[in-house]
Order: sequence, then structure tokens, then C-alpha cells
Amino acid sequence: MNKDLSKVRNIGISAHIDSGKTTLTERILFYTKRIHAIHEVRGKDGVGAKMDSMELEKERGITIQSAATYCSWKNISINIIDTPGHVDFTVEVERALRVLDGAILVLCSVGGVQSQSITVNRQMTRYNVPRIAFVNKCDRTGANPEKVTRQLREKLDLNAHMLQMPIGLESDLKGMVDLISMKAIYFEGPNGEEIIAKEIPADMQAVAEEKREALLEEVSMFSEELMEAVLEGGDIDEQVIYDAIRKGTLSLQFTPVLMGSAYKNKGVQLLLDAVERYLPCPTDVTNMALDLKDNEKEFAVSNNPDDPLIMLAFKLEDGRYGQLTYIRTYQGKLAKGDTVYNNRTGKKTKIGRLCRMHANEMEEIESCGSGDIVALFGVDCASGDTFTSEEISCSMTSMHIPEPVISLAIIPKDNKAQINMSKALNRFTKEDPTFKSYVDHETGETIISGMGELHLEVYVERMKREYNALVEVGAPQVAYRETISQRAEFNYTHKKQTGGSGQYGRVAGYMEPMEDGEFEFVDSIVGGVIPREFISSCEKGFRKSLEKGSLCGATITGVRCVINDGAYHTVDSSDIAFQLAAIGAFKEGYLKAKPIILEPIMKVAVEGPTEFQGAVMGSINQRRGMIIGTTEEGSYSVVEAEVPLSEMFGYSTVLRSLTQGKAEFTMEFATFKPVPKGVGEQLVKAYQAERKNA
Amino acid sequence: MENSEFVVNNPLRALGLEEKTSGVQAMMGLVMARAGLGKTAILVQFALDCMLLGNKVLHVSIGEGIDKTRAWYDDILSLLTDGEKLESIPEIMKNRMIMTFKESSFSKALLEERLDDLVKQNIYKPECLIIDGYNFAENSRESLEGLRKFMNDRGLKMIWFSAVSHREDQRVSANGVPAPCHEVDSLFETVLLIKPVGDAMKLDIVKCDSCKLDPGTTLMLDPSTMLIKKA
Repeated sequence: MNKDLSKVRNIGISAHIDSGKTTLTERILFYTKRIHAIHEVRGKDGVGAKMDSMELEKERGITIQSAATYCSWKNISINIIDTPGHVDFTVEVERALRVLDGAILVLCSVGGVQSQSITVNRQMTRYNVPRIAFVNKCDRTGANPEKVTRQLREKLDLNAHMLQMPIGLESDLKGMVDLISMKAIYFEGPNGEEIIAKEIPADMQAVAEEKREALLEEVSMFSEELMEAVLEGGDIDEQVIYDAIRKGTLSLQFTPVLMGSAYKNKGVQLLLDAVERYLPCPTDVTNMALDLKDNEKEFAVSNNPDDPLIMLAFKLEDGRYGQLTYIRTYQGKLAKGDTVYNNRTGKKTKIGRLCRMHANEMEEIESCGSGDIVALFGVDCASGDTFTSEEISCSMTSMHIPEPVISLAIIPKDNKAQINMSKALNRFTKEDPTFKSYVDHETGETIISGMGELHLEVYVERMKREYNALVEVGAPQVAYRETISQRAEFNYTHKKQTGGSGQYGRVAGYMEPMEDGEFEFVDSIVGGVIPREFISSCEKGFRKSLEKGSLCGATITGVRCVINDGAYHTVDSSDIAFQLAAIGAFKEGYLKAKPIILEPIMKVAVEGPTEFQGAVMGSINQRRGMIIGTTEEGSYSVVEAEVPLSEMFGYSTVLRSLTQGKAEFTMEFATFKPVPKGVGEQLVKAYQAERKNA
Repeated sequence: MENSEFVVNNPLRALGLEEKTSGVQAMMGLVMARAGLGKTAILVQFALDCMLLGNKVLHVSIGEGIDKTRAWYDDILSLLTDGEKLESIPEIMKNRMIMTFKESSFSKALLEERLDDLVKQNIYKPECLIIDGYNFAENSRESLEGLRKFMNDRGLKMIWFSAVSHREDQRVSANGVPAPCHEVDSLFETVLLIKPVGDAMKLDIVKCDSCKLDPGTTLMLDPSTMLIKKA
């Protein structure tokens, strides 16, 4: 274990889908000697990249789960999380960023800043993650790292500057000029492992000097020493430049841009040098925790290995040997046999096995310390739990988890499948907080919900492959919501006096729309017309009513219920009587409050060749989409739109046939909006028919 | 707050040009200023005014991204509504589409092609066109005449351009329109010039064939918001 934290880097690799993240990670592992042969993502050898260990990932050529690995470069230890690019798996990216100190933002030199790069960048900003940009695929036709750097500035508002200049581009890519050492760097040998530094080609010298000057001017803002050296002229110590860039990067005011082609084995070693030079070590970053013994007061974790242990479980996996829990330690140290305390459940757990993960392979270790990312065996917990040693009680700040927008009914084919399906769902919902499952009591069907079609498709496939749970899948359903559009009063008396003890409760007040938030209960009862002990019963009743709206059976949100009057009976009033009275009151008020159905609206970005822009816009228009705008950059264009999710099912097939497979789209949840009248009527009709048949 | 309450100080109405958005006769307008003085803010106010009057606007932004252009609308709308979230805003925004082009790739032919794509497929038929960032120094009079013809052919009621003037270029047309638009001023019905005077910002009406206000009239702009000040 490396005890010097300044020599540790916890980094993530994030990007738009198909920018070559996994290929880049494969090269990093090769150059750091963690693997001895390179396998391509969809290579002919059929092995697949190291980090895509799941069968499905290898088949589809995309990363679904973030995989963790570590490696050593020169004298530093690097923990790497390779994260998925598809927006449906965004929680994997969010989780990885929560525990990482720095990141590499990979961009395609042709596609540049694409929609998912924007999402990923936003996530990095949310968690204050310093980043390096790597412009990959410089060997592809149309490669233009300068354009990508400009887009980083314009579209992502990053102060991005190239630290290198490509020598040749597209199929002529030979190497790059390092603008700090002012050397031309070439990558030779069968896998580009030999780095050769030469003089800058004569025809590039002048441009390189100009670019270096501009770079130094920019980074000198972060270092007085460098500024003085620049003003004085003459030779500048390289370390002074590195320090200035590091300072700018750590303060999120500067983004170094490096470039290359992972596939052609060019530029990766220089990127590793940049990780060492510019990305933070655990002590450079301030991580906050909440002190549960002091009213959740925020405090900065110390990173000190001698302090009490604090660690966060950020990912769960069910492997061959039971549950595998990925953790990041923030302070203190952990050794095999230690007892840790789960601050959420209050349970104590003895740590049996401790491993470093290398994709799906593991290496047992005896102990780990502050700043480490390791995996534990046999620890029962949920993702996001904080573990500490017994003397302290704290929680790392919560992670942002988006709400699911799409659901699917699944029906097991037989009894055996039913048992296996339950096991699978139990595991998946624990692993992934954006994946939810429940049983619809009216239809008896099991419903799974998640962030997109692909998200659910992958889980259904995993159920089959990993649990042998064969299920029939219904058509994907949009997760609609219901809400009210005006204030309405209620005054309901629940009275039951037939046989046994009676039930009595009267609840009166009003409900009104609420702009932000899901539900608010306001108790304005005076004079004890409803006794204190039954106020919570009323709230329970209202909350129960929110589970299923009467229009289309969707969850009700955005409602404030205020109770200001009521009545009770000394003998017949009870918890259940007031719950039922509140349910009745809600029902009465709800219909008067003009309920409406809301549907999820997705922000859709379609990218592809300009010649198909008209067809793409037409296809969006047919789907009740509102085109926000179009961007044209040479032969490439992006159409941005807001489209109801219900209209996006099967869009990938339509888009493929419209554009000869040359365009791709990404979508993410934007907001909920009321459905048009006609659509609303259809939904109500369908729900009524379903209830009749149930 | 009603829609009508937050449009009273909008430039179209201040100039008395609101009828132009429903008229048969098309008009071409120009907002000029030195770099960074707020041309886009004025164009966006024109666009919002058109949208509030129920017209569809196509905002063509040359050299700027969609997000930045959208942000202009959000900021100005927020100023006009004092930050109040109006229920009608999503409806109003349906009347806007943004098209962005790189400076090097914009051409009249490309714009025509894109607009025809929208109109023929019945996706969006704009009545007003905003062209922000048009390079007057590098485009000929013929290109502008072409755009004027294009506007008439496609039934557009209004096109507003922005143009950057430079302090060092002293050329001026007989009407007082500065370079680089001094030789094409006859193609525009309305030419406005933003001028900083001390701490204040003025909007000079250099030329206005159908305004209710006379050429030479000056409107005051709030320098912090670039909204036209109440008289």
C-alpha cells in the first residue's frame, strides 16, 4: 500500500458514447503493465477490452457498469473508474464522480463536444472535479483538435488550452509537439511503447512558438513566478509551468487539453504524465461529511490515516463470492478483521476480505488507507452507505439520484423464473438506485422502472443470463404523473357503525397546487377538533392517496394538503378511522381541483451529417417534439429538441433508417409537462378499461 | 401578470412598428453598434415582441451556440417579467426556433435550404427572422438583395439584422448610417444605432420609413438591462 497520499490519484474516465473511453483505459493498463496484451472493444480476437467484463458489454461494445482498476505509472498509484457513456447509465457516472478526485474527459476529435459530454461536464462541475481533456481519435478522417478545444471553451465554458500540437492528422498522425518541453514526441514500437523525443519539425517551429507563448500567457495567471519568468524572457523551468497548470486545474479555472489516438497507440503515455502532474491527490481535495452527533453539521474529512476511519460504499455488485462492495476511504485505515459501523443501519460489520479490483479480477490485500478505492466482501449494505470506526458517527453528503422515467411490466414464465426474478430484482435494486421495482396491486404485475429503454433492456437481459429468470416483457410504459391545477376544498366524514367497534373521523380543509416538491402536509387545526394523536393519521391517509391518481393511475405530485377543521368521537375515532377519512377527503377534493396528467419530456439531441437535418427535424415534429434549435458545423449538424418520452419508443430504429445509420441521438429527462387534451383523454380511457378488465 | 403588461416597453411598440408584424408589406431592419454594446439584447427584444404578438420567430445566430442564444431570451424575459414564472411562457417559447451556424459555413443558400426544410414539412413557418452576426464587411449588396427577395418570396414579415460598426471606420451614408452598412442602407426600412453617452445608453433612430417616431429621435436604454426605458 502506498502511504504517501501525494502519490495517489483517484480518477474517472468519462465521455460521450463511443468516444473511445474503454479503448483508452485498455492502453493505460497496457502501458502501466497491468495487462500484457491489448484487446479491442469489438476486436476480431473476441476477447474484448479488459474493462468491459460483462458479457453484454462485450457484445454491445458499450460500457454498462463502471469498472474499477488500479495501476502504477512512474512513482504514482492510479485508481481508475471507467464509466459508461450512455445517458441511461448516468447514475454510474454520478457515483464514480462522487468518489473521485479528478477526471479525464475524453472527446472524439471529429464529434467534438457532444450532448453527453455536456451532461458529463455538468456532473463534474456539480462535484467540483478538476479535469483534463483528452481529444481522442485524432487518426480519424475529419479530426480537428483545435475545433474541439474551441468547443470546450464555447460550449462547456471551460478555460481549455492545448498543451500539445498534433504532428499530422487523420491517417498522417505521427505524434505531437509538447508545447512545454518544446519537443516533438513520437511513439514507436509495435504498440507505441517507445517514446522518442526529437526536435520540432522546422515547418512547425514558428506555429509551436506562437502557441507556447499564448499558453504561457494564459497559465501565468496562476503563478507569479511564471509571470515574472515570462516577462523577463529567456528559459523557463518546466516545473514552474507544470505547477502553474496544476494550480489552475485544481482551482477549476483551467483545463489542460491533450490529444492523441488511443487506438493507434499515440499520446496515452503523455496523458498519464498529465494525470500525475495536473490532477489532484486525495489531500488536494476537500471532501465534506455530516456529523450525525452534532445536528448533521458539515465538516471536512482529514485524509489523515491516523484519524478514525470514514469510508463510503459507492457501488455494489453481486459476484461469485457474494456481495462485493466498492468503497472509498476518506480518512483512517482499514485492515482485514477490523470492525466497522454502518451509520445508516447502526449495524457493526467485521471485514473478512479486502481486495483491489481489476475489472472482474481481484487481488487480495491486507489493509487500505485514506484515499484508497477498494472492494469488501460479505458486507451487507446499500449503495451510498457510510462506514466509520465506532468512535465517530457521520455520513458523507448524499448523492444526486434522478427519478426513473420509464417502466415495463415483466411476467415470469414459470414458478422457477418467479423465484429467480425476485432474487435478481432484489440485487439490481440494491445495486442501482435509479432502477426500481414494485408490484401493481390492481393488475398483480411486477413493474420495473428506470432511466430509459436500454437501461431496462439490459436488466431484463441480465435477469435471463445471470439468474436464469425467463420473463415476458410488456410494452414500455411512460411513468406519468398526476397533479392538480387549482385549489379545492374538502370536508369528509368517515363513519362506520355496523358490527364491532365503530369508526369515526371528519377531516376538512383544502388542497392546492405546489410548484416545487411532491407533497406537503400542513396542520392548521386549532382547538383540538382533531386530537394531536390523529394528525399523523391524516397525513398517512393523504400520502396513501398520492400513490395512485384516479385519472390514469399515476403517482400524484405537487399537492399541498391543509387541514383546518374536523371532528372526532371519544370512542369510535382511531388511527385507521382518520386515515380513511383523509383518503375520502383527498378523493373529494382531488376531483374538484381539476387534476391533470403530466408526462416526462426528454431533452433530445440528434447528431449526424447535415444532409439528413431536414429528415431528422421532420421525424421530431411527427413525435410532438418542439425543436429548440439546430447547430451546423461544416458537414455535421445537431438538432436539439424537447420530445415527450411516450413518442420516443423505437426512435433509434426510425432514425437509423432515415439517416442510413449515420446519425445518433441521446436523450435525458428534462421536465414534466401536462399532456395535450387528446392524449390525456386516451390515457384516462385506457386506464378505465384496464380497471374494468382487472 | 398578463402578457400585455410586459410588452409595453418593447422596442417594436416603442417605435410604433408592431403593425408591421401583421402587415402585407415586409420590412428589413438593422441594429448597429460597436462590439459588446448590446445588439443581441435589442434583437432579442424585437423577437420577443414578435412572439408575444403571436408570430413565429426564427433566430439565426452566426458564430454563437444555441445555449448562449437561449440564455439571452431567458435573461430578457426574466427582466421583463421581474423574474415571475408566467404560465404562458412555455406557450410563447413555442414561437421561437434557433438556428446556429459557424461564421464560415453560413450562406444565403444554406439558410434558404434550411428554411424550406422547415416550411415544406410543415414543421415551422416563421414570420420574423432575426439574423445576428451577419458579416456585412464580407458580403456584397447582391447577397443582401437576395435575402430581401427571399424574405418576400417566403412571406416573411420582418427581418432584423445586427451589424458591428468600428470606431476607426469613419465612413457614413447620406442618411447617417455608419460603415460597413453605409452602402446598403437603402435596403433597410429601419436603422437603429446604439450609442453610449457617458453612463447612459441611447438608441438613435437613424432611419425609419414607417416608424411613428421621426428619424433623429433618441430612445434611452437602461444600461444594466438594455431594456428601453419608460418615457
